[in-house]
This record gives sequence, C-alpha cells and structure tokens, in this order.
Amino acid sequence: MVYVKWFFRIVVFVLLFGVLHYTLPQHDVVRVVNTYQERQDLNDWTRIFWAQPDDQSAELVNRDVQFIQTVRRKTWLFGFVPRESTGVMVYRNEDTGWSWPFYFKFDTASLQTEADDLRSTAENPKWAVMTHYGWRMELLSVFPNAVAIRQVDSPDYYPIPWFNIFFFVFLGVAWLFLRAMWRQFRERSIDPVVDSAGEAWESADQRFDDTRGRLRRWIDSWRRSPRR
Amino acid sequence: MLGLVKLIIFGFVILTVIYVLVWLYSRSVRRERLEDQWDADNPEGGDPQAKETYVEDGMKDYHASIRPKLILLVYVIPVVLIVAVMIVINWS
Repeated sequence: MVYVKWFFRIVVFVLLFGVLHYTLPQHDVVRVVNTYQERQDLNDWTRIFWAQPDDQSAELVNRDVQFIQTVRRKTWLFGFVPRESTGVMVYRNEDTGWSWPFYFKFDTASLQTEADDLRSTAENPKWAVMTHYGWRMELLSVFPNAVAIRQVDSPDYYPIPWFNIFFFVFLGVAWLFLRAMWRQFRERSIDPVVDSAGEAWESADQRFDDTRGRLRRWIDSWRRSPRR
Repeated sequence: MLGLVKLIIFGFVILTVIYVLVWLYSRSVRRERLEDQWDADNPEGGDPQAKETYVEDGMKDYHASIRPKLILLVYVIPVVLIVAVMIVINWS
C-alpha cells in the first residue's frame, strides 16, 4: 500500500512538473541565424504540440508555420546555470490566440520581423533574449514556441525569470489559502456533524455490543470450545 | 473569436466557483471570530440567546461593510492580468 501511495505521488509530481516545465516561459540567450516558413502536417497525435492560432485552424490538416533558427547559449538546470558552449535551437513562431497555453500571443508576424531584424553572423554577432515555452524534441519534430525577443548587449546576459518567481509565490499563497479554507470548513462544518454522528454511532454500537454480548454468551453456552 | 467566447464562459464558471468558496470562507471566519469574541467577553458562557443576537448583529455589520465586496476582486484581478499579459506580449 505504501508503494502504491508513493507511486501515485511520483506520477502526479512528474505530470505536474512536466506541464509546468512545458508551459511556463523560459529565457534563452540566442543569436538569430535565419527564419523560414514551412508547411506542417497536423493530422496525427503530435498535433498537441502545435498551437491553435484561430478557430478554423482546429480542423486544418496542414498549414504554414514560421520558424526562427538560432544559435543558443547552453545552460544547465533549466537555464539557471549558463555555460560557455553554444548549440543550435529552432523555435516555431505561432499565435496562441485565446486558448491554452494562455500567452494571448497574436503578434507572430511582428515577432518574425523583429527576429529578421536581429539576424547576424558569427563574426559580427547580435545577441538577444528569446522568451519561449515548450520543448524541442527532434524525434517527434516538436519545437518550442517563441513568445518574445529583445536585444541584449552580450551573450553573458543573465535573464531573471520574474514571471516564474511571481508565479510560484502565487502558487504557494494559493495553496496556503486553500488549506486554510479546507481547515475552516472541516472545523466548522464537518467536525460538528461527525462528532454528533460519532456520539450516535457509539451509543448504537454500545447497544449492539450489549445485545450481541448476551446472544454470544447464550451461543457460547452451547459450545464446548472456549470463547476467543 | 469562438476561442474568446469559450475563454469567457469557462473563465466565468471557474471564477464563480472560486468566488463562492472565498465568500463562504470569509463569512465563516468572521462568524468564528465573533463567537470567540463573545466567549472571551463572557468566560462563563452567558445567555445563548444574547450570544446569537450578538453574532447575528456582527454578521449584519460584516455584510454591510466593504469586505465582502472586495471578494469581487476575484473577477477583476484575472481580467486585469489578462489585459496586462496581452499588452506585454503583443505591444511592447
């Protein structure tokens, strides 16, 4: 039973972590190399990794998606520890519209223009902070979605994840509030009922014990084996 | 535009659930505080009828005050946040 409980807890934790890690914004220090647009097939289960920019796009079997190719400073520990080396990262650039995840992004074309404006070469680099959500999974052709881009002076720029800080503080406060609500509800609404029910149960139980005790003694009087 | 309609409907339902829960919680906390106040003022218990009157009067004052109206912020804050997010993401 203990294993089942821990298994269940770990599954919930991993799912929650996965959803948050996919959805919350992250910042990469990047150099834009190129942008392109490519037709994407959307008619299998990996559809969940593409956005739904507008209502009619829900039924489309394929559509054009814009991409931003970059060279990115590598990091450790979800972007908290910067590294010297660089790798490549390709972002998709799609509206999220009014649906999940709730970035309310409608400026895909503007963002693509900004990215084009920041294009640079390795010899004469322009660095920028790319805000994005999502994962890059090469096997499934899944790309993170770019949300915003702004130029920074050097590749050593360290973006502070303000939104995530506030988000987790809010989550903690919400959790404490929910717990306080539950305790208040239990103290004021459940406990009095349970107490009175408990008293009623105990008296009924006592009566039952008395009756059964007499019955049991009578049955036992016919048995040879001693009563347990 | 259907997405916006969906967001408004689901958002309204979820926020209403939160509103009702917070409303009940706030009322319950106030009632408990009034009862505790009475018990502190009357260590030997006092007249149960007078206690009930005291608590009901306190609750009437609470409902007339600004505090229960502040719970309407449950509806206001998310809308403000959404507008702020839209401005930051799209027009800055």
